[in-house]
Amino acid sequence: MKKQKLIVLGVASAAVVFVAGCNSGGEASYIDPGGTRSLITADGVNTKDWQIASNALINSLLQSGELNRPDGRKTVVMIGVVKNKTSEHVDTNMLTNLVRTAMLRTGKAVITTAVGGRGAEDKSTHQVRDLENDDVFNQSTVQKRGTAIAPDMSLAGEIIQQQTVSGKRHESYFQFHLTLTDLKTGLAVWEDTKEIAKQNRTQSVGW
Amino acid sequence: MKKLLPLAALLIIAGCQDTTNTINSMEPMNVQGVKTDQVITDSFLKGRLKVMRVNKGYTPAGLLKVQVALRNDRTGVFSEWWSSYTKENPYTIAYKFTWLDENGMMVNNNTGNWLFANIIPGDTLYLQAVAPNERCKNFTLSLKEHDYKENF
Repeated sequence: MKKQKLIVLGVASAAVVFVAGCNSGGEASYIDPGGTRSLITADGVNTKDWQIASNALINSLLQSGELNRPDGRKTVVMIGVVKNKTSEHVDTNMLTNLVRTAMLRTGKAVITTAVGGRGAEDKSTHQVRDLENDDVFNQSTVQKRGTAIAPDMSLAGEIIQQQTVSGKRHESYFQFHLTLTDLKTGLAVWEDTKEIAKQNRTQSVGW
Repeated sequence: MKKLLPLAALLIIAGCQDTTNTINSMEPMNVQGVKTDQVITDSFLKGRLKVMRVNKGYTPAGLLKVQVALRNDRTGVFSEWWSSYTKENPYTIAYKFTWLDENGMMVNNNTGNWLFANIIPGDTLYLQAVAPNERCKNFTLSLKEHDYKENF
C-alpha cells in the first residue's frame, strides 16, 4: 500500500513538472513597432496611439509653418510639461520624444536641453560652467557664462481621458493636446488636438 | 403576395446597411505632376478602394504636402450586405507614407508608421501628410487591408 502511494505521488509530481515545462510563457517574436500587429487595449494608451497622435500633431505643426523664422535662424524650442490627466500611468515622453525629433528633422528648429518644464533635461550645461574655479581644468577650455542660447518657443500640452461604459461595451476617449508658445509674447502660436476613441466588449463567462 | 417577398427582403437588407451617399465632382484622374501609381495597394484592396485623386502642394515653410482621396466602392445591396456579414463595414485599412529625396532615396523619419483608418461604403477618405523636411521631393503611399484580430 505504501509502495502504491509512492508510485502515485511520483507520477503526479512528474505530471506537474511536465505541465509546467510545457507552459513556459509561450512563443515570443519581434514585431515591427511601426507595423500593424502591436497590441491594442481599450483602457490604456498603446504603442499605436502614440504613433497616431504624434503623426497627426507633427503634420499639423509642420503645416502651420510656425517653426520658420523670418531671420532664417533655427527656432530654439524648450520642452515644457505635458500633463498626464488619464487614469493610467503613462510616460508623456512617449509623445514629446516623437514630436521633438520630428521638429529637429525639419532643419527649422533645435531643442534646448539646458532648460525644460521640469528643470534642465541635461544639467551638464550648468555643471560645466562651475568648472571656472576649478584649477584642474585649463580655463581657456571652460565654457564661458552667457554663451548658452535661450529658447524662443516652448512645447507643452496634456493628455486627457474619458471613460464610458454602456452595458457590456466600454469606451475610452483620449485627447492629445499640444501647444507651441512664443516665449517673447506668451502667445500660443500653434496648438492642436488629436482625438482617439477605442471600444471593446466585455466577454461573457465561458469555457 | 409571393412576388413582394423578395422585394421586402431586399428592403430589409438595404435598411440594415451603414453606408454613406456622397456627391462630388471627383473622377479618377491624375493631377499634373503626380501619378496615382505612387499609391501601392494589394490586389484584393484594389477591387474595393478606388484612388480618386492625388493632390500635391507645399506648406508655407516649403515642405511637400500630399493628399490622397480614396473611395470605398463596395456599394450596392449585395456588396454592402456581404461587408456587414463579414464585419468589414466600416472597412478598416492600414496606410503608410514613405518619403523619398530627389534621388529616390528613402528619407528617415519617425512618422513613417502604419496607421489605421475606417471607411464606410460609398464614402471618400482623405489621407494627408506633410514631408518631414525639404529634402523630400516624392512619396509613396502603401495601403493594405487591416484585421483587428492581429491586435489582440
